[in-house]
Amino acid sequence: MTGQYGIEPMMEMFLFETSQLIEQLEQLIISCEKTEHFTEDTINEIFRIMHTIKGSSAMMLQDNISSLAHSMEDLFYFLRENKDKAVDYSALSDLVLEGVDLIKVEMEKLRNGDKADGNTSWLQEKIKSFLADLKIDATSKSVLDSKDHKNEKQQYYVSKDRKKIESSKYKNAFKATIYFEEGCEMENIRAYTIIHNICDISDEFFHIPEDLIEDDEGVGKIRKDGFQIYLRTESSYDDVHEFFMQTLFLKDLILEQIEQSEYEQLYEAKQKKSNHDASNTFRNSEEHSEGNKEVQSISTQQSIISVSMAKLDKLMDLVGEMVISEDMVIQNPDLKGLELENFQKAARQLQKITSEIQDIVMSIRMVPLSATFLKMHRIVRDMSKKLGKEVELKIIGEETEVDKNVIEHISDPIMHLVRNAIDHGIESPEERLAKNKPMTGTVTLEAKNAGNDVLVIVRDDGRGLNKEKILKKAKENGLLYRAEEELTDREIYNLIFLPGFSTKDNVTEFSGRGVGMDVVVKNIETIGGSVSVDSTPDKGSVITLKIPLTLAIIDGMNIRVGSSYYTIPTISIRESFRPRENDIFSDPNGNEMIMVRGQCYPILRLHELLKVKTDITRFTDGIITIVEQDERTVCIFSDELIGQQQVVVKALPEYIRKLNKTKALAGCTLLGDGSISLILDITGLASLKGLS
Amino acid sequence: MGDVREMKRVLIVDDASFMRMTISMMLKKNDFEIVGEAENGIEGVRKYKELKPDIVTMDITMPEMSGIEALREIRAFDPGANVIMITAMGQEALVREAVMYGAKSFLVKPFKEEHLINILKKLLGN
Repeated sequence: MTGQYGIEPMMEMFLFETSQLIEQLEQLIISCEKTEHFTEDTINEIFRIMHTIKGSSAMMLQDNISSLAHSMEDLFYFLRENKDKAVDYSALSDLVLEGVDLIKVEMEKLRNGDKADGNTSWLQEKIKSFLADLKIDATSKSVLDSKDHKNEKQQYYVSKDRKKIESSKYKNAFKATIYFEEGCEMENIRAYTIIHNICDISDEFFHIPEDLIEDDEGVGKIRKDGFQIYLRTESSYDDVHEFFMQTLFLKDLILEQIEQSEYEQLYEAKQKKSNHDASNTFRNSEEHSEGNKEVQSISTQQSIISVSMAKLDKLMDLVGEMVISEDMVIQNPDLKGLELENFQKAARQLQKITSEIQDIVMSIRMVPLSATFLKMHRIVRDMSKKLGKEVELKIIGEETEVDKNVIEHISDPIMHLVRNAIDHGIESPEERLAKNKPMTGTVTLEAKNAGNDVLVIVRDDGRGLNKEKILKKAKENGLLYRAEEELTDREIYNLIFLPGFSTKDNVTEFSGRGVGMDVVVKNIETIGGSVSVDSTPDKGSVITLKIPLTLAIIDGMNIRVGSSYYTIPTISIRESFRPRENDIFSDPNGNEMIMVRGQCYPILRLHELLKVKTDITRFTDGIITIVEQDERTVCIFSDELIGQQQVVVKALPEYIRKLNKTKALAGCTLLGDGSISLILDITGLASLKGLS
Repeated sequence: MGDVREMKRVLIVDDASFMRMTISMMLKKNDFEIVGEAENGIEGVRKYKELKPDIVTMDITMPEMSGIEALREIRAFDPGANVIMITAMGQEALVREAVMYGAKSFLVKPFKEEHLINILKKLLGN
């Protein structure tokens, strides 16, 4: 069931599929709105989406979603059948998007294990009246009733009773009363099914209710009084009984043999009644094709299957273990010093394959940012409409991929940043024109790879950040950590990320509560990334999110200090060398520094920082490794370089993480010979030393 | 009692994966064998010819080829084919047409598992 153990698989599948459809729908609407035209294909597509959602949600007993989808389906059915109708597309888009939002809300409730009990009837009414207005000036002969589907074609049947009734050549006459099972629906068509097959036993029959097609009340009559068939046949009672018993969804059958005279009387009575009724019935002589020319759906059906995240996580873990095990085999101390040519060849092949598996598994979890970015179109549209601003969203590099986990954490921050850009950044059209800027503001969302990170950049060409206002607010909230004269422009701008900060005078619906920016920062830092901002007054602002790619397996350089091993991510390493005595000196504060090609860098003595015993304390006996992380460069002093290898980053155990020293450690790993190596975090190390 | 092979091989044709999953689950619980699934009429007809199932559940509206067209092609290929249409409220005309073209019965969404299983069992002469 629902709750703490997750939602059941059927619900998950329903939510997954419906979410996809809803997103598709949203994109369709937004792109059509821009061109102010709904093509035939689009209308068809929307109709189909609503139809599917109606069916699936009905199966899941989610009636409020189902009826909402039904009313939308009716609306688009009408639009499909009345292509030339002039429609207010803006109002139509708003209507559909309102429906999209409602359904999203209900699905979120279901995701959380709650009931989808929202009221959707107000929107259904709105849609129905929109549709009613459309129909009022429809010139077609369509009847103004809700069952539009019936009008698409008339089906005609001749009832056998057109012939004059003769004295029957058939032995027996019967009356069959049939009750269908509760809840089976469309009883009139079920009745029709029986009639369709009845020629197996009789070609002289009539039934009540007579009209199984047009009569709306037919279903009700059948439910109440049963479906009554009168027939004349050569067959015996048993045969007739057997025939009717084959009816599907049969609840009750009452079969009575009647006198021929009774049959004739009832027949005459029924004839009189039919002649009074306006409906005529004629045999359907031509074949009607339904016009089911289902138009090619715009959405591309890719070969994609959905996989549970839990399985993927497990797979990643196992691949990690595999890499470690592989090392433990290939670099096993037992093999030290042995000449093993064939073994080496095989080992290389194994490494090659393992590496490929690694790459693929990592790529499975990588997901392009396009879905997240495309969602922003909706936000831009809604906000610009509400605030009366003209804004265009440009998207660059949406094919850039990040780990699936990451996507979940950056979706909200990006949304907030885009909102911010439109709310605070982009000026009103009048303001922009007064500044000689184009009336339409531009917000650019860009993603690109930069080394081991992915950069997500939100840029706007609005009014830029206001230094004075920021300083003032920071002072008010006691957030200034240094004298304001000492702060660079960039540092002033980055104050906005501190908790409790907001310069918007009024709290708008969208932002300005002072809880926005720092939540963005927190979300990004949770996945190991960072946020920064830069701005130019009247030209605009740029916010950059730096997000590390999945760290699980990295290239590392193993080093030794004493009898302890450490690993530095190779990507951070600039170079390693044995230093010369005259390159080393101390600065006025007593910090040891080294000069390399005209640049000075601080030296971090690992054995001191990490309190490890070692015999090598003279610089010229050990190795200096220049590393760079977060635009900071330091030199690490260690005993010896062991070698490069791929390492699987494992998180430090809880009890270690609680200790202070862990700021310097990003994780741990197992080396080929089974010993543990701690992975260094350079920034953390540097802060240990007091370098800020 | 056991000399007649028990008929229970089912082909599910529906463009909504959710529906295919739902029907599949219902059937598996009741010992039916799902021999195949298709997401449009063309696939449905192809798989019918290939797999020759005992019964087909067919969604009435699908892209590429509708349920009715697929029904007709299947019945042309195999006049004794057991096809059950899956439909939604408001599609009476289509359902009627399907019956005309030989659909044995139909289920209206939302339908209960017992409805599906009962008519399948009845049709396959369990």
